[in-house]
Amino acid sequence: MPDRAVAPFAGVLVGFARELRAAGLVVGTGDVLTYCSAMTPLDPSDLVDVYWAGRATLVSRHEDIAVYDQVFRRYFLDEGAPGAKQLLLPALASALSEAGLVMPEVSPEPPSDSEEKPVLGWMASDVDALKHRSFAACTPAELAALRRIMTRIRLTPPRRRTRRTRSAPSGRAPDMRRTIRESMRMHGEPAELFFRQRKTRLRPLILILDVSGSMADYSRHLLQFAYSARRAAARVEVFCFGTRLTRITRALEHRQPDLALAQAAQAVVDWDGGTRIGQSLDTFVRRWGRNGMCRGGVVIICSDGLDRGDPELLAGAMERLSRLCYRIVWLNPHKGDTVNFRPSTLGMMVAAPHIDLLLSGHDLASLEQLANMLPVLN
Amino acid sequence: MEYPGTVTELTDDLRQGGYLADRGLATTLLVSLSLHRPVLLEGEVGVGKTEVAKVLAAVYGRRLIRLQCYEGIDTNQALYEWDYARQMLQIRALSERQLADDEAVDKLFGPKFLLQRPLLEAVQAGDQAVLLIDEIDRADDEFEAFLLEVLSDFQITIPEIGTITAQSQPAVILTSNRTRELHDALRRRCLYHWIGYPAAEREVEIVLVREPGAAEQLTRKVVRAVHRLRELDLAKPPGVAETIDWVRTLGFLGETDLTPQAAGDTLGAVIKDRDDLDLARENMAEITSGA
Repeated sequence: MPDRAVAPFAGVLVGFARELRAAGLVVGTGDVLTYCSAMTPLDPSDLVDVYWAGRATLVSRHEDIAVYDQVFRRYFLDEGAPGAKQLLLPALASALSEAGLVMPEVSPEPPSDSEEKPVLGWMASDVDALKHRSFAACTPAELAALRRIMTRIRLTPPRRRTRRTRSAPSGRAPDMRRTIRESMRMHGEPAELFFRQRKTRLRPLILILDVSGSMADYSRHLLQFAYSARRAAARVEVFCFGTRLTRITRALEHRQPDLALAQAAQAVVDWDGGTRIGQSLDTFVRRWGRNGMCRGGVVIICSDGLDRGDPELLAGAMERLSRLCYRIVWLNPHKGDTVNFRPSTLGMMVAAPHIDLLLSGHDLASLEQLANMLPVLN
Repeated sequence: MEYPGTVTELTDDLRQGGYLADRGLATTLLVSLSLHRPVLLEGEVGVGKTEVAKVLAAVYGRRLIRLQCYEGIDTNQALYEWDYARQMLQIRALSERQLADDEAVDKLFGPKFLLQRPLLEAVQAGDQAVLLIDEIDRADDEFEAFLLEVLSDFQITIPEIGTITAQSQPAVILTSNRTRELHDALRRRCLYHWIGYPAAEREVEIVLVREPGAAEQLTRKVVRAVHRLRELDLAKPPGVAETIDWVRTLGFLGETDLTPQAAGDTLGAVIKDRDDLDLARENMAEITSGA
């Protein structure tokens, strides 16, 4: 519990926490209590202590530090800031330089416009006909119907054996614990031998979606799968790219999938710049792949392969990616239903040697095909 | 030695132990020690996440108990395990001599047959220990959930013996390299600190503290070169540990200056990836220039 010396500051600290919450950080009441308690061994009138104690107690992930810094600056440092008046601020400038506070420039959030309204009340009368119609040719009502059908398709990534074991009647290593326990019943005579077998679990699934121009429509449908795969208790990561790559996994947890994708599209697509697949994949490999995100996982890339960047960069990124992950699936809507599809774009040709499975993903039937092939992808 | 009461003292003590903690890290550690909360350290590879725990234990005379996480780690490896082989032998011995009375059976589940693993050790050692849970992101999420339980109460229940509760809480440091997202519940239990790359001046200081024999002139050049390398967009940028390794390597070879030749020969100490090596060799003149 915070002691009396902290009490006069508690109001300011709580106010600060409230500001953080307003800025989108998840700050619980318990965290605020810890924050106030943390000031006991520290000096609440020293702004550097206020800063670091808050960072240690109220922030729990690296991505949130930038927001924290912004709010901190607004609340304590700006002129007429609510926190500044109430705190004695000794040697503010030196304190700042000591703490090495680097406040990032605040870039204004791009205004979000609401995406297509949900179309309701349309029943799928002819599912089969709809199955083979390209998404691009569908009316909004038909798309909504397709979406409803898609929620029933389950996307299950293939399984792999883990290092974790469970008791089993047969296996490689004996299960000493169980064997002994069972033998207790037989007066210590080990009558039956039990074994441990390695468990299996679903491989992680990584979706890398092209959201530029016409590709956005196709990519959106794959997002639906991201949900169903997560329901099957697999780890799912979603990225999207146009000219740059962004991770939208966390955004998807809270928002409507369409809205999240639309906002991501605004952030990553430079409409005149075309698509930079090579660059985006390279970023993925460097920032996330190298850290082990896709190790042993299945990477699904949805793109038409029209790359404006350097083909060598794409080739390099694909090669690295193929070494890092388990399988690469590429969905190219331009493939359509052609059986002997020969990639015509340079990007596809460069990427082709590293692709384990090339599908079209342009209509419901092909997505069903993906769902069927994924669990047995070996 | 008692844990200190102020940030300055803690920083000084850690420096005695050869670790330069910045204000943020020292504040986080101090708060963690006074509020008895675990610290979660994240950051780039090789910036001294694990080292903090080691130095903390060494400086304050605590026992360092390390739990290295890996995929598939389970309670048998983290908490305790019965020594089944010994139990079995004991049972045989007892039954041959017809000595299997109640007391003898009770002894089967006594401390003699209990193999303590790091978490149980830490609970028993209490504040005489620093518990380092290293690379928690390598363990699978089942283990994380289990850890959550131990970290919140510091008590462990062994069905055959009963519940063991820590008399006082050990200092707990968790490290993660962010290979996977940790669960929010675990994050909330911990204080969080991100360790980034230090500024050049500070890195020189760190290297000189860790390698007292190193020439300052050479160290400065190496640090400058490493900072250039970090700007190069490498797949695996070198950490502080690599800087120290590089200085050590050059010192061992008796180099007094970081020439492109010397740097090229010892590049393997800082860069551990073939593509990165190529990129660094292409830019060698620039990396070693301006010394």
